[in-house]
Amino acid sequence: MKKFLAVLKREYVQRVRAKMFIVSTILLPMVMSLFGIVPALIISIDTGSPMKLAIVDQTGKMYDQLNVAMFNEAGQQDTTNQPRGRFGNFVLEKVDAAGHSTEQIRNDLDRRLRDKEIDGYMILPPDFLAHGQAEFFNRNPGDVISRRLLQSALNRAVREQRLIEAKVDTKTRQGLFQPVELEAVKIGATGQERDSGGSFALVFGIGFVMYLAILMYGQVILGAVIEEKETRIAEILFSSVKPFALMMGKLVGVSLVALTQLAIWGLAFSAFALYGVGFLASRGLRANIPGIPFSHFIYFGLFFLLGYFIYATIYALVGSMVTTAQEGGQLAMPIILILVISFYLFFPVSRSPDSSFSFWVSMIPFSAPVAMLVRIVTQTPPFWQIALSLLIGFSSVLLIMWIASRVYRVGMLMYGKRASIPEAWRWARQP
Amino acid sequence: MAASEVTVKLDGVSKSFGEFTAVRDLSLSVRAGRVFGLLGPNGAGKTTTIRMIVNITAPDSGSISIFGRKIDAQLQDRIGYLPEERGLYRRMKVLDQLRFFAELKNVRGKGIDAKIDEWLARVKLSEWKNKRSMELSKGMQQKIQFIISVIHDPDLLILDEPFSGLDPINVELLKEVVLDLKRAGKTIIFSTHQMEVAEKICDDICLLNKSQKVFEGSLRDIKRSFGRNSVAVRCEGGDGVLDDPALVSKLVRHVDEAQALLTEGADAQVLLKRLIAAGAVIGKFEMVEPSLNDIFITKVTEAG
Repeated sequence: MKKFLAVLKREYVQRVRAKMFIVSTILLPMVMSLFGIVPALIISIDTGSPMKLAIVDQTGKMYDQLNVAMFNEAGQQDTTNQPRGRFGNFVLEKVDAAGHSTEQIRNDLDRRLRDKEIDGYMILPPDFLAHGQAEFFNRNPGDVISRRLLQSALNRAVREQRLIEAKVDTKTRQGLFQPVELEAVKIGATGQERDSGGSFALVFGIGFVMYLAILMYGQVILGAVIEEKETRIAEILFSSVKPFALMMGKLVGVSLVALTQLAIWGLAFSAFALYGVGFLASRGLRANIPGIPFSHFIYFGLFFLLGYFIYATIYALVGSMVTTAQEGGQLAMPIILILVISFYLFFPVSRSPDSSFSFWVSMIPFSAPVAMLVRIVTQTPPFWQIALSLLIGFSSVLLIMWIASRVYRVGMLMYGKRASIPEAWRWARQP
Repeated sequence: MAASEVTVKLDGVSKSFGEFTAVRDLSLSVRAGRVFGLLGPNGAGKTTTIRMIVNITAPDSGSISIFGRKIDAQLQDRIGYLPEERGLYRRMKVLDQLRFFAELKNVRGKGIDAKIDEWLARVKLSEWKNKRSMELSKGMQQKIQFIISVIHDPDLLILDEPFSGLDPINVELLKEVVLDLKRAGKTIIFSTHQMEVAEKICDDICLLNKSQKVFEGSLRDIKRSFGRNSVAVRCEGGDGVLDDPALVSKLVRHVDEAQALLTEGADAQVLLKRLIAAGAVIGKFEMVEPSLNDIFITKVTEAG
């Protein structure tokens, strides 16, 4: 036990002290926040003066409606309450169509378009309200965003105008467009529990973080296990410490490094999130914090650890079989595949959490972490099932580590030889 | 510890890896407070024997006892082992490294740093204490590895080719350290195929060849049993005489002298007379003990 702790301590201290660890721990939250901020900044870059649009309203009714609709489309950018013909990136201009033929108007507008007095014009024909067909002329048909915005605003304007003409009063009109809200209410053992999918999202999040942790730290564990082989220290170690203690020390040491890093990132993320919630609150929006029973958090923690360790041990096993990190990398590919498949079991299990399929995948150690968590937040299975799943999972971790340490020891005695799977099995049983 | 006490005892030990038998029915006793040379050509089974003694691998049959007990994890802490396959953590500082390995032998606490300083001074590496091992030369690393094997003050020290790759000055330095440890009552198993080194520090030897024991006993006894039947000769001319198989069974020529192993029953005086009669100018003619190397080669070829 003391030797196990000595290995663990060395593994942890050496790694946490390393420059790479410090740099990556600090850098990632910074890069993440950059990814959050930079796109917002880029999108908001104003690439020039607002788009000047001339509107030829041959119906005589649509210009004002369009003004209102445009205001609503781009409304949040304009703080005044009155439509003024300028919305976000658009400036509207009403063209007086009376007394001119369409031909004349178009010629005139085409000239202004060429002279760059305007950036585009739209003709709403007299039968526009009936047929809903209008034409938009501009120099840059590739500007999808503006076109979509205009179309959306026109839609809204036409809808309003048609309702007005159908003599629908203002209150009814507003009522008609009231959006629906579908609130999911879960019927659990204790009655009704309101849950707006928060715990569901959390399970998905845990699965994702587990996936990330394995992707990042699987290779590190592999490398740690191979380290003594590559530096030829293994033999000195084995004259002092049992292979199982060595392997467990390495596994737990590296895992604590991983948890340290994840915890730091988690704190940074929480800080961002709290800032975000505060920001939303200052704007009058309330973030919905889902009510999740406390026992679920314990399960989240346990199954996250199980998921992490079950895959980490497979990396350790691979490390025990190979002689160099490159070899290990190739052999580790199937692990990722199993991980991805287990992750996607999220969906079938969430659809029928009580099926026998869901039961079995929540017992198999590789798929249990995600599957069991989904079952817990949907239709919490009996406690014995959760306990059994954890028991099978953590026993498997120990068993795999035991096999890995046997394979490692025999492999070390035959330097430079990579074990095939049958050989590894034979080695594991050798005294 | 009494000199007659046995530190390591192997009884009918065999070990095979698949088809290959690495050690076959080996019995030997290592007496306390002596330097025991485990000698043999490459692939003779020396390393496998040592690995069984330090409990890295278990024998297929036979028994091994150390300090009178069957090996277990506690006994491991009383053994120091410098394997032939050895390395250091490249990015770890020398001091941290030594502390770690001491901890693996259950030696920790305040005393250890003083001990580390003492050993570093002894092998003249004090100023490298806070350097990463990747910054050290190969010879320096080897001395650190040596310290690792003795830092926990073991009663039994097992050194597998400890001097390979070291320059003569460092070989001399470590040899002195080994002899000091012996004087302090430690038992040392010394495995090598370099007979010249073994000859200088071993009290007892065991010759292994092709997985089997060829000879075991004290170095003095084995030399005595071979008798003084070798002659070191430096002469000009008379070459034909030295090549006569009736007198010389084996002739090894060095740069300026030759070593002649006499044929059984041949007399050195006859050889000398023949040389003079043949007109050779003799610079040196000396009866010498056979070197361990000669004994080794003779024994190994005898054993077939």
